[in-house]
This record gives sequence, C-alpha cells and structure tokens, in this order.
Amino acid sequence: MLFKLAWRNLWRNRRRTLITIASVFFAVLLSVLMRSFQEGSYEVMIRNVVSFYTGYAQIHKEGYWAEQTLDNSFEPAEDLHLAAGPDLGVRRAVPRLESFALASSGDNTRPAMVVGIDPEAEPALTNLDQKLSAGAYFTGTAPAALVAEDLAEKLGLGVGDTLLLIGQGYQGVSAGGRYPIAGLLHFGSPELNKRMVYLPLPEAQYLYGAENRLTSYALVLENPDQTGRVVRALDEALPGSYEVMTWQELQPELVEGIEGDRAGGVITLTILYVIIGFGMFGTVLMMTAERQYEFGVMTAIGMSKLRQSLVIFIEISLMGLLGVLAGLAASLPLTWYFKLNPIYMGEQMAEVYAQFDMEPVLPASTDPGIFLQQAVIVFLLSLAISLYPIWNIQRLQPVRAMRS
Amino acid sequence: MLPILSWRNVWRNRLRSLVVILAIALGLWGGLFMMAFSWGMSEQRTRDIIDTQTSHLQVHHPEFKDEQRLSLTVPQGDSLAAQLRARPEVEAAAARMVLTGMLATASDAVGVQILGVEPEAEAALTRLRSRVTYGAYFPEDKRYPVLIGEQLAEKLGILEGSGDSADVNFRERLVLTFQAEDSTLSARFRVCGIYKAQNSRLEELQVFAVKQDLEALIGAGSLTHELAVKARDIAQTDALMQELRSQTPGMLTETWAELAPDINLIAESFEVSMRIFFVIILLALAFGIINTMLMAVMERTRELGMLMAVGMGKLRVFGMIMLETLYLALVGGPLGVLLAWATITWTSHTGISLAGFGEAGAAAYGMSAVVYPSIQPGYYLEISIMVLITAGLSALYPALRALRLRPVEAIRSH
Amino acid sequence: MAIIETRNLSKTYEGVVPVTAVSQVSLSIEAGEFTAIVGPSGSGKTTLLNILGGLDRPSEGQVLIGGEDITALSEAELIRFRLQHIGFVFQAYNLIPVLTARENVEFVMLLQNQPRDVRDARTDELLAAVGLADRANVRPSKLSGGQQQRVAVARALASKPRFVLADEPTANLDSRSTANLLDIMSELNRREGITFLFSTHDQRVIDRARRVITLVDGEIVTDQQRTPQA
Repeated sequence: MLFKLAWRNLWRNRRRTLITIASVFFAVLLSVLMRSFQEGSYEVMIRNVVSFYTGYAQIHKEGYWAEQTLDNSFEPAEDLHLAAGPDLGVRRAVPRLESFALASSGDNTRPAMVVGIDPEAEPALTNLDQKLSAGAYFTGTAPAALVAEDLAEKLGLGVGDTLLLIGQGYQGVSAGGRYPIAGLLHFGSPELNKRMVYLPLPEAQYLYGAENRLTSYALVLENPDQTGRVVRALDEALPGSYEVMTWQELQPELVEGIEGDRAGGVITLTILYVIIGFGMFGTVLMMTAERQYEFGVMTAIGMSKLRQSLVIFIEISLMGLLGVLAGLAASLPLTWYFKLNPIYMGEQMAEVYAQFDMEPVLPASTDPGIFLQQAVIVFLLSLAISLYPIWNIQRLQPVRAMRS
Repeated sequence: MLPILSWRNVWRNRLRSLVVILAIALGLWGGLFMMAFSWGMSEQRTRDIIDTQTSHLQVHHPEFKDEQRLSLTVPQGDSLAAQLRARPEVEAAAARMVLTGMLATASDAVGVQILGVEPEAEAALTRLRSRVTYGAYFPEDKRYPVLIGEQLAEKLGILEGSGDSADVNFRERLVLTFQAEDSTLSARFRVCGIYKAQNSRLEELQVFAVKQDLEALIGAGSLTHELAVKARDIAQTDALMQELRSQTPGMLTETWAELAPDINLIAESFEVSMRIFFVIILLALAFGIINTMLMAVMERTRELGMLMAVGMGKLRVFGMIMLETLYLALVGGPLGVLLAWATITWTSHTGISLAGFGEAGAAAYGMSAVVYPSIQPGYYLEISIMVLITAGLSALYPALRALRLRPVEAIRSH
Repeated sequence: MAIIETRNLSKTYEGVVPVTAVSQVSLSIEAGEFTAIVGPSGSGKTTLLNILGGLDRPSEGQVLIGGEDITALSEAELIRFRLQHIGFVFQAYNLIPVLTARENVEFVMLLQNQPRDVRDARTDELLAAVGLADRANVRPSKLSGGQQQRVAVARALASKPRFVLADEPTANLDSRSTANLLDIMSELNRREGITFLFSTHDQRVIDRARRVITLVDGEIVTDQQRTPQA
C-alpha cells in the first residue's frame, strides 16, 4: 500500500517528478564525466609514458628488477613463449638485453644504456622506427647502432661514424665492440635522449658475452586496461624463476605523479558533489514545501509519521534509482564518444606536448568502476537528501501545515 | 513597476529564493575555490621543483650542458657563491661540481651523476639535509662520504626494508669512476646517508659527495660547474639574473623556467583540465538553477495566470522572471565571492593536506602534501561574470516555459 | 456519559498582539448528537474543532473524549487516537488525489491494519451509503465537489470513529450537493447513531441541526436544542 501510494504520488505531479529525476540524472552524468576525464588524462599519460620504453608489463628473471645486472639475465625457454602467448592476452613479447656501458667516440666517453632489440618486434611497442631524426633503421640484424641524438652530439658522432662500446658483460667478462652508427634517434624524454644506444639483439648478446640470453620481455597487451589480470595470469602460468611486473612497478614515478594528482582530484570532485548535491536538495526542498498541505491532511486523518516518512523515502529512492539509471544510460555513450574522439587541446598546447612526445589530447575513460562508483555515490547522496523531507514530516504540525 | 514587482516576488517566497541564491553562491564558491586550489597545486609543484632541484637561477659554462667536461667550469664559482650568500635579496646560493660517471659495488655498476656540493650551502638551498632519511648528512668524522638516493640504495642492496625496521649497510664501499681531464679517475667512497627526492628517477641518478673531497682527488684546485641561486622572492629572479650575467661574463645564466621546461607542461595541463572541470561545475550550477526555477514557475502557475489574466503581456512576464533571476544572482553572486574569498584566504594560511587522500598519499613520495590555494584577483571578476551569464542562461528556459501558460488554464489548475 | 467534554478550554495565539481564539469553553456532547457550531468568521469555530480533534492543543483546559484527556497525549499517541476514534471531513475535501474513491475509503482501514475482507465489506457498504457505489474506481479529480465530499464522509466513517468532525463541509458546494450531503449525514446519524459535530455558517446546515452552539469571539453565547426542519 505504501509503495502504491508512493508510486502514484510520483506520477501525480509528473513534471515535478521529472525535474527531480533530472537533477539526479545530471548529477550522475556530470560526476561520471568529471571522473572519466580525470582518469582519461591519466590513461593517456600512462599510454604515452609506457610507450617510451617499458611497455605495460615485463617479464624478467626473478630478482632482476631489484638488481639490474646481466648476471640476472635468462635464457628464454620454449615454455615462456607458449605462456606469453595470445591465450593470456599478450599480443607480442618484445625481447631485450640491456645493460649500462660506456659509449665512446675515442675523444669523448659517456655512460650509455645499451639495449639489444629484435628490430622487427621493437616498433610494435615503442615505434622506434618512427623516432629516427637521421639515418635509417636497422636492416636485418647486421652490426649497426642507433644512437640517441643528444648522446651522439656529446660524443661528436654522426651517421656513418663508428661508436665504441666498453663495459662489463655477462659473468664479469669485459665487453667491447665497434659499431657503425646507422641512425640517430630523437626521444621526447630528455633522459632517453641522453643515454640510449640500440643494437640488434644478436650483436648485443655477442658484445656482452650473453649468447641467447635476455634481460627482459616487454609485453604488448591486447587490452592495456587488463594489465593487472594478464600479469597475475602470467605469474601463475610461469615458473617461479621468472618475475612479471606491471607498469606500476616498472614506473613508480608515474604512479607517484598520478597519485599526487588524484588526491587533488578528490577536492575538485568534492566541490562538484557539493554543487550537484545542492541542486538535488533544491528540488526536494521545493517539493517538500509544496506538499505541506498534503502532509498535514495525512497526519490529520491518522497516518503515522513513520509511514509518511516511508512513503517519501520510497518516492525519493525510486526517483534516485530512475535518475541514476538514466544518468548511466546517457553517460555511457557520451564517455565512449569522448574516448574515441578525445578533446584536442589546441595548437599552443600541442607544441608544448610535442616536446615531450605526449599526445595533446584529453580522452574520457570508460573504466566500469567509475560508472558504478558515481552511481552509488549519487544514489546515496539522494537518499541522504531524503532526510530533509523526513525531518520536515517529523516536526510537522497538521493545523499549521493545512493552513498554508 | 516591473522591477518592484520582481523584487517583491523574490522576497515573497523566501525558501525558493534562498535555494536559488545559495545555488548561485555555491557555484561561484566552487568555481573560485577549485581555481584557487588547482592554481595552488600547480604552484606547489613548481615550488617543489625550485626548492629541491633547480633553485631560481643556475649559472653554467655555456658548453657544459652539451658536453659535461671537467674543464667547462664557472670561474671563481666558490667565491661568487659566497658573495651571493652575503646579499640581502639572496636566500641561498651554492657552488657544485657535476660529474658523470659510474658507481660500482662489488657486484653492480650503474651510471650516475656525481654532484660535489658544499654541505652547508646545499642544505640551505635544496633542503638536502632534511631530506636525509637514514644515516647522517656529511658527518665530519667520515672520510669520503656520499649520500645516495633511497631508490638506488634499494637497488644496490644497501637499503633493505623501510621505516624503523630498515637495515642500512653503511659499510658497503662504493667506487665512483669518472673522467677527469686526461684520465679516468676512480676512488672509494662510503655511504654516510640516504636521501629522498621528489621522484625515484632522481633518487636513482644523483649521488652527492663533498665538493672539496672531489677537488682533492682531481687535484686541479677549485672546480665549479654549477652555481645555483635562490632569491628570497621569486619576483627578484629577473633582476638577479641581470646582475649575475654582468658578473659572469661568457657564462650561461638560466632561470628555473628554462631549466625545467616540464614545469610548463605541468602548468599547461593543469590549466586544461581545470578549464574542463570548470565547465562541468558551471553545467552543474546551470542544471541546479534550471530545476529550481522550473519548479518555481510551476508552483506559481496560478499567480502567473492571474497576472496574464489581468492583462500583463507575455514579454512582461518573461521580463519579470528574468529580472527575478537577476536579483537573485545579485544577492547570491557577492555572497559566493565573499564565501570563496574567506575560504581561500583561510586555507591559504592553513593549507590543505592531501595526505589523507589518494592511496598512499602524496607525502609518501616526497612531494609536498600540503597545498596552499591562491588566486589572482582578476579571476574573481572573470568567474563572477561567467557564473552570472550561466545564471541568466539557465533562467531562460523556465521563463520561456512560463510564457506557454494559458491564463484560463493556469487559474483553474490547483 | 458525554462522548466529548471540554473544561474551560482556551486557546491563545502568541504574537505581537496575542489573539484569543477560544475562551473558557466548557461543553458536553452526547453520543448521537447532530450538532452545529455556528458563528461569524473569526469566531473560533475552526480552532475549537481542531482542538476537539486533537489537531491543535489548547492553551488551557482539558478535552475529555470518552473520559480520556487527550491533551495529555503525545504527538504520536494523538495520531493513533485520531486514527481509531475520530473522523474528519474538511472544507476542501482533502481526498488523497492519487487514490481512487474506493482506495481513499479503504486507506484509513489499511492504516488500522484491518483484514482484507472487513475492509472490502465496509468500503462497499459506505460507498453505497453515500450513493457512490458506481463511482468507486474513479480518482477524486474525476468527481464533482459534492461527490468528493461524500467520499470524504465515507472515509471519515471508515475507521468506525466515535464521532465525526466536519469543518465547513458544505462551503464549497452548490445547493443540490449540499442538500444531498446533509441527507446522507442525517440519515447516517438517525439510522446508525453516528455523532456529527460540524462548524458552519451555512443556514441550510443550521436548519438541519438538532443542537446549535453559537460562538462569538471564542465564547459560547447561546446553546440551544431545537427540532430540525426537514
């Protein structure tokens, strides 16, 4: 009966009900949009940063990340290839052998990160072949080096010159080699620009005396949103002698930056809640004021205040539910649209972003968690607001209410 | 007549008016406060970078950045730093030696940047002393002490665990290798302490040693590659730069903005997201006003019908409702500005701690976790105007709805 | 024993100038009465009725209903008391707009937690009594004023109250509806012995009353028994 009464009350003043539902609807829509853009900005940043070098996930020998030496390299076994296959959501495993060495032109010496790569696989992750500022990309696995342009400049070397690499190889052997520079690379990150040297994988393995060995597989995933799941699955599938790490572990400073930003986002979101909460409160306040007479009559004919409160509570819950559902229904396509068609930040920003190899776009995130979380929060907010009419009913005096 | 009618209408239904006034005030408050908060956060990042990394100005040999050779020094860097420290407008100044090299333990070798610093001056300039989390800051009794970052210490196995239960192996000997003028020099150092930086990349890259120790090793007298200066007030940066340029002819003097171009990126991206969030907040405000005014129009169906019945033209009814909104905005606007001003002023003194937010809290990452909101006065006007325009636009739809009322029906309905 | 008894009832509204709406009213209403409280507007009729119905509290004095002092009851107890013992008919009908005529009558019994068969039987009976059996499933907005007020009477009786308070029940009705409503009420009074107490300044209603209490400025000036005119 109470439910029937509540339901019919809703449809009696249809416009008022629709306005209240609309206020919940917009609350969900706007808070989802806000969160979606916040998370979207992180997603694009992560996408950019992991594509600089690390990828979304990597496989190493257990203990390598804590102590990044060649002694912690591994010989990839057949089972690793099978495990890191498409079954678990890995599109491609990009092999690398990396270590520090001194790069020299004879006159000048600089520390460098020397990375042996599979020239054919690497671009799938880092678009390395797109980053040439001079010369050409590897052709096959012929001995050649690609050198970051800042490093090359400091060494005073150009395309065609010979690069000397000196360092320590696998199990302490001394490593040394001479390589013709095939091309120069330009990176958005100044760090990479200062220290990267790429060799074809077999050359690097020969240089470091680490035949058939790798330090890592960087993974290209089918769906980066699923990184955590893929890594857990791989961790289970692979023997304990391997470690599988997510970008969060590989790039702690990125996580640091995002966490710091997210904390600020909480404040912005709180401000939004205050405003949308007040918007919803406004409509409920007006509704309560309009219905004083009705409440007065109900009290006069003997309906207990508890029952009246229940009716109002049911009404607001129903409106909240409808508003939330409608809000979700509208925000889904909207966020999808902005995910596929990110907001472009304009020419001026594009220039600043280009310096850092970042995309000057702001997409929306469609992480299901956002929708669920905002739906629940706004619904709870509307229930909290229903306390006002309930409070109003509790202190209502029928004579005064009916006089209005 | 219309203005008086509207004004009285506003005060006849106090509750409804209060709702709209508060909605406008809250919208304005929210917009301004968010702006101030974002601005404060962006400034905080900038200040963090200035305070711990770049300082306000740095002087280098013009070729040093391209080619970090030992001989590319700033002449008389030490005495210049001392002179600068004596000046009233300078808060701190320090000379540094900057070497690129390798750090090796018994089992590991990593590329590092070796910074030779003047311990006291450096502590004043980049708060290095207070950022030491384990061990001591260049104690007198230790020969060839170095400070390494937490990240590097963990990587090298010198630091294990964290917090009070952390185990630090201060006996581990490190060999630092770097290129001197004609030869490669190696020397043994001991870890005296472990420091925390703004991000783990710096912690992994930078190793601090005492400048004089390095100078003694090299044996070529005083060598300064980097002279860093911090003014008491950031606004004095340019004046100070002019002066430094004249004192160091042939050298390259750069400001913090040139030294850390990514500050620009951070500031710009803050600006963009702030603008988008501001639009979302304006939309929230608009819907709040539309809803409330629509309710108001519906509630007043009889009254409006009566006014139309006695011969008030549609244009006038429309004008009356718009005027009412204007009055509400004129009351709510200043209220919101006042509220925002009070909140911003208050929080700009107390600061807002972000430590409670986010998963591990920003503080855990060595970033300042307290944000001091601040706003440029011009924004008050700009945002007020935007909020007033939003309020005006939001009133349009309810006012148009009012026009669609038919007087007879309006009066009959109850 | 009197069904309603008041002792020195006064009600003063506080304000800049305190207004005494009811002053030293002592009266007694017996079961089966059909009584009108009359007087010019502002004489305190509605206030008196509200106090008798437990909707308002007196500043002084007592209201005994069936010997129980309702001024001593709490807010929630009063609501329960009204539900069980008092029926109301308002000037503006005040039916629940979202419920049909039938549901409006049934509603009060639902609040009383009456079983379904009792509700159904009594609702049918009451709707028939007020002559609206054929309009049972229509919402109030589809009924005329007279019909709505008849539903209100049926609703007032649904809880089997000890008496019915009707505040200006005919003020919004035309002559035919008024006559019709009065016929129904006096029929219920005569046949089933239901006590009606109404405030009015409508001569047609006064003519039908068996007792007329006249209030002026909150005080009883006359209280006469009379034979109603048909």
